[in-house]
Formats: sequence, structure tokens, C-alpha cells
Amino acid sequence: MITVQGLSHCYKKGGPAAVKDASFEIAKGEVLGFLGPSGAGKSTTQGVLTGLLPLQTGQVNVAGFDMRHPKRELYNLLGVSFEQSNVYAKLTALENLQFYAGLFDVPTEDPMKLLALVGLDHVARKRTGEFSKGMKHRLTFARSLINKPDVWFLDEPTTGLDPAIAHDIKGIIREKNQKGATIFLTTHNMQVADELCHRVAFIVDGEIRLIDSPRNLKLQYGERVVEVEHTADGALKTERMSLSAREDQQRLNHLLEQGTVQTMHTKEATLEEIFIAVTGRGLS
Amino acid sequence: MKKTWSLFLQDIRLSLQGLYFYMEIIIAVVFVAVMLFVVPDSFSRTETRHVYLELPAPLRSVVVGELEASGATIVLANSLAELEQSMQKDRMSSGLVVSQDGAWLRLEVVLQGHESEQTRALLQATVEGAMLEGVPGLTGRTVTTVLVPNAPRLSDRDSLIPVYLTINVALMGLFIIAAYIFLDKEEGVIRALAVSPLSTGQYLVSKMLLMLFMGLVNSVVVVALLRGGLANYPWLIALVVASNLFGSALGLLIASYFNSMVQAMEVLYTAMIVLMFASYSYLMPSFSPWWVRILPTYSMLFAFREVLFENGNVNLMLIAIVQLAVLGMLAFALAHARYKRTITV
Repeated sequence: MITVQGLSHCYKKGGPAAVKDASFEIAKGEVLGFLGPSGAGKSTTQGVLTGLLPLQTGQVNVAGFDMRHPKRELYNLLGVSFEQSNVYAKLTALENLQFYAGLFDVPTEDPMKLLALVGLDHVARKRTGEFSKGMKHRLTFARSLINKPDVWFLDEPTTGLDPAIAHDIKGIIREKNQKGATIFLTTHNMQVADELCHRVAFIVDGEIRLIDSPRNLKLQYGERVVEVEHTADGALKTERMSLSAREDQQRLNHLLEQGTVQTMHTKEATLEEIFIAVTGRGLS
Repeated sequence: MKKTWSLFLQDIRLSLQGLYFYMEIIIAVVFVAVMLFVVPDSFSRTETRHVYLELPAPLRSVVVGELEASGATIVLANSLAELEQSMQKDRMSSGLVVSQDGAWLRLEVVLQGHESEQTRALLQATVEGAMLEGVPGLTGRTVTTVLVPNAPRLSDRDSLIPVYLTINVALMGLFIIAAYIFLDKEEGVIRALAVSPLSTGQYLVSKMLLMLFMGLVNSVVVVALLRGGLANYPWLIALVVASNLFGSALGLLIASYFNSMVQAMEVLYTAMIVLMFASYSYLMPSFSPWWVRILPTYSMLFAFREVLFENGNVNLMLIAIVQLAVLGMLAFALAHARYKRTITV
């Protein structure tokens, strides 16, 4: 659905490249997470893929359209949710969506249905200038769904949202993906990426360092360890045991047979730990 | 077209919720009120003329009668010294000493000293003319002819309408359209529109339609209230469309080189000042160097004057409309090419 070959982008002629020789593909119905710290080149890549920035070097094809000269029809297939909310402050939430729906040549979603989906139906007729940051963010997210997009670009979709709403937003993303949407998700939140993405790409200083599925990365970079809490002599003890060491396997069986185990967690590496291990850099 | 119209209606809705639209209406109404109740129909003032007559009584009354008939306010002095004293108190007045020199009538024009050569000659001719007309036995040799008898003429007050239309209908768009674009950029709305099927051209045209709508409302309100049925409205609308297109497109082109209103302000302001030099030529025809005559606003001003008549000069109006439309389209094409590359960068 998206093919990127040798993409590079400079903001100033002769200046440093914000993205260097990036190449990747996203299959139809796949969710690719683009992970990296601020200034890594995530938004620049998304900017070129959505046509907001001109394609300078390389080849980019999105939904069958060459991004060197993107045609306007492409945008009937695309949805873009921005990190910075950008809605008309003087219009109500409903007016914002109704206006935006009028710009498409394809059947669009019912604006009220979308507002209900993101929990804004009760303020549908309120001017968005009076909205909180989180509400504006949800409206921007809802607007990106108005044309029932086949390819969906999400930039930090859960940033600034409270956990309950972030949970709902993740649910919507999963549902749309299950219905066939291809998703390019830009985030520095590893937990969101882990939950939603089929594959993740680590990008640092404009370069993609690694692309793989979260599961493969954890298997490759994580330790197969179990953390067990159990009682011994009336006291609560915690032990870490390797699943691959024979001695630890026997010890774990012994504890299970004794019935003294209180809690037990597998301790595979998190995406954040893998990111640091691969790039040598943190995410913040 | 559907998308442009949708965005245009959207912009109308937004402008109705802001102050600018109402400011335009208020400015138009205030302008009309000032024109009707403050600005006089004619700017020429009644001249005061101090006169000292060294004449016998019969001739005296004839001369005074002729001078009063000229429309000037006559103040008679009893001596030359008194005449000079009176003139010093009123620096805009002039003086006249009339005496008899045998069979000759001697006229001595006394001026303040600040008058131009043209004014001096004109004053002298006026006085001589008045005497020649009125004194028995004397006839004038000056003959005046006109090319168009009963030619329509604007009052001094209505002559200001073209200046208002040029500033508020044509050139104000230069600033306002730039402000709208920068506002959309600052709010980030332009990025949302850029990832919709709306093209850059449709976006720019919708902004220009908004400027045109406001220009039409403003101009029709002003002209209808000040000229009523005396103006030619189809030509007025055509000229407003062309001049508004020119102003808006130029504003777009200038704004395309900058990232914020603050950065663009200096160039926009300079452009407006240069274009408004044409109004000096319009109000003072003696100042009309070639570089002013080639400004698009020069023909715009004179064409706006013609549309205020029912039967204005069609050639003048047509030439201005074509010139402004062509320049406007050229500026729009350049602005469009630039915005296609830079509007979201």
C-alpha cells in the first residue's frame, strides 16, 4: 500500500538531512509504527508521505499514487490525524466535521456518529475555541476518519489524552485496522506501538535503524525470564528465573508444586529497552 | 467548483463571526455619513477681496456692483494703508485698487506674495473680465468654447468616491487576504485542507471570492447611498471585480514570499503607498509623471469616476477593466505556482 525507496529530505539546501535514505514498505491492512525521539525525522517522513512536504530524493508511492506529483484524488483515500490540533476555533465541532466532509468526492461518515465515537457528541454544537486540548485532539482524530480512509496517518494519536480516552482511541484504531485500513503510526510512546503495530521502525537522526515486529524484537533482544513472588517461612520473597536454564526450570517447578507462588510474570524486554539497546538513545 | 463554493461559504461564515466584515460595513456607513454631513459639495471657498476705490461717485457704484456680481466678498477700504492692513489680517484675501487716469481705468491688483504665477494671471484676467463686461462702452475679446455642452460633472464631494473605492475595495484586499492566509497557517488549518482533495488553486480562489464579496457589498452600499440612480451599476460591478481581483492577487503574491504577517507587512505597506500615488494625480492633475500614469491604480481611479455617471466613458472603463483583470490573473498565476510549492512547508 505504501512503498518508500531511498527517501531523503533536507529543509535547507545544503543543510543536514532530516531523513536519510529511508526505505520501507507497508502492506495493505498493516499497522507500521514509526518510533523515535523528537527531531528524529518521524514527522518529516509522514510529511513527505502525505504530500505536505515535497518529495526531494527517492521514490514514494502511496495507494498507487506517485508522491513526486500527487494527484488530488489520492486524498479521497487518505486520512491524516495531526499531533497539533488544527480545527476552526470559531466553528462548532459539528460544523468543523460537516465542512470538512464537503471537501471529499467519496461517501463520508456521519459527523455525529464520529463525534459519538470519540466522546464529543454532547459538545457537538459548542465552538471548538472553548474546547480543552484533549477535546481538540479527539476532534482532529475524528476528522481524519470522515472520508473512511484506506490509508490512515496517525501522529501521536494518544498524546495528551487521559488513560480512559486513550484506551478508547486505541480501540478505534484496532477496529479500523481490522476493517482493512492501512495505518502509519508515528509515536514516541512505545506502549502504544507495542499494542497496535504489526511492525515497528526505529528512527534516529533521520536514519531507520531497524524494522521488525514487536514480538520478533522481544525474542531477539529480550531475556526469557520469569519473576516469581512466593512465600517462604512466612515471608514474601521475589526471585528471577531464566526459562532456558535447567536449574531455574527445576526451581520453578518446585515452587509450583509447593503451592507457595503468589504472583508470576514473564519479564521480556520492553520496546523501550530494545530501542535503547539498538540505537543507544532514549526516547525523551 | 463545489469544493471552492463550500470553502467560500465556510469563509463567509467565519468572517460573519469575526469583526472584519462588520468593520467594512461600519467604515462604509461612516464614510457615507461624513460625505453627506461633513464634506461640502464644493471645496472652493468664497474669496474676500479688499477694494480701495479712487473714483468719482457714479463710476464707483458701477464698479462695486460688478465686483459683487463676481461672487467675491467685497470689503471697501478708505485708503491704501487701510487696505494693506486688512489684507494682513486675512492672508488668503486679495486686494484691488481702482483709480481713474484721465480716460483710462487703472486697476492695481494687490496680492499677498505667496500666490503662484498662474493664480496671479487668473486673478488679473478675472478682474479685467469683470470690468470689461460691466463698464459701458467697453467689450471683451475673450471667447470660451466647450467640447461637450452640458457635460456631466461630479461635485467635489463625489469626486472623492473613486479614492475611497480604490483604497477600500481594491487595495484593502491586499492586506486582508494576506492576513487570512497567515491566520490559516498559524492555526494549522491549511495543513488539514492540504490533505483533502481541495487543490491549492481552489483554496486561493475561495479566499479571493471572500474579498470580492466584501468589496461588492462595500462599494454598492457607498455608491448607492451617495449617487443613487446616477451611477452605472453593471460597470461598477465589473470594475469592482477586476480591481478586487488585482488587489487580492497581488496580496497573495506578496504574502507567498513570507511566513508571517509581521514579515510581510513592510512590503504590503510599501506596495499600497506606491499604488496610492495615483490618487495624488487624480486629485491634483498637474502632478502626473509617467511613473504614476503607468500604475494600475491610475486607470482604476479614473474608471471608478466614470462608473459614477449613468453614461460614463466606456473606453476608459473597458481599458481599465481589461488591464486590471490581466494583471490580476498574471499575479494569481505566479502566486498559485509559488503556493503549490510552499503553502504547507
